[in-house]
Amino acid sequence: MPNELPPDDPRSVWQCQRVEHTVMSLDEIRKKARSYQGKIRFRNSLEYAAVVFITLFFSHTIWTVHHLVMQVGAGLCIAGGWYMAWQLHRRGPARAVPADLAAATCLGFHRSELVRQRDLLRDTWSWYLGPLIPGLAVLTLGAGLANPGHPRRAWLFVGGYSALVAAAFLIVWRYNLRCAGRLQTQIDELDSMEKQS
Amino acid sequence: MASSQDDLYREAAAAYGGALDRLARAYEAGTDKRRDLMQEIHFALWRSFETFDARCSMRTWIYRVAHNVAASHVARQRRYSPVPLASLEEVQAVADPNPSQLGADREHALNRLLALVHRLKPLDRQVILSYLEGLDATAIGEITGISPGNAATKIHRIKAVLARQFHQGGHHAE
Repeated sequence: MPNELPPDDPRSVWQCQRVEHTVMSLDEIRKKARSYQGKIRFRNSLEYAAVVFITLFFSHTIWTVHHLVMQVGAGLCIAGGWYMAWQLHRRGPARAVPADLAAATCLGFHRSELVRQRDLLRDTWSWYLGPLIPGLAVLTLGAGLANPGHPRRAWLFVGGYSALVAAAFLIVWRYNLRCAGRLQTQIDELDSMEKQS
Repeated sequence: MASSQDDLYREAAAAYGGALDRLARAYEAGTDKRRDLMQEIHFALWRSFETFDARCSMRTWIYRVAHNVAASHVARQRRYSPVPLASLEEVQAVADPNPSQLGADREHALNRLLALVHRLKPLDRQVILSYLEGLDATAIGEITGISPGNAATKIHRIKAVLARQFHQGGHHAE
């Protein structure tokens, strides 16, 4: 093909560029497959480690605080952490590359990736922020109730801490929503392209 | 099954190794990252042949896998990039004040071509790369998922952009 093109045709310039012509041996491929499986195992281990850390941390709280409301709050935090880790594992951003990559056209594959990322960002409340709220709320309330000797100071702490957490959650939510909006624009562009097809 | 998968991979790598190297260069400018991307593409290709059912041509299959892997690579790399990628239409709308002479310095021309490709959004990048590899509108449609008519329109735009970016010593990209 390059020989049939005039030398100053951009396609000729492109096709005649010097390249390495990479070919991986089957041994290298199998090594890569093992390293790929290793990466997946490492990612899973990190998720399990985070769940173990959350469980140990809040179990310690349950064991040491001796206040029922705080213990319930810590228990809810553990449950929220488990739920979040499960959701992250289910729809995580580091999802394995699918084996049937060629089954989808580039347009279809690109769109499905954008939709997956958009949903992940848009549904922050249902899988990321939301599950943590009951535990943190009950734990904070418990911290206020656990100090009847200094009610003013305790409720000032509860109010300040709650406001801080609420502000942090709102910032994360707004930021994710903005990113999801940018992805939606790209999805709309692809959809309009599909309609033209 | 494994030997058939291995044979298909060997066949694909022998026939399209050069094209895949060029494709990786168009998606990743850094040498080390490009080597990683190449390995990722070859690995994905080998994995994909486990389910190759000849419903589409080998060429379409290979390019789909390679473009999909490379586009995911770009998405990962650009997750926090503040500079947005441009569409063909946006690139076409901006006049190039310093067009190159293609015949004069091919290395310079190639670098300008790569700079142009690196600026494009994934789908437009896939179309221009397929065009540069010599594929027609029907083949581009099969790979990317856009209709042949839409691919032909995009090719028309690509030719206009290339003609503006490069003086072609009397010839025009056809």
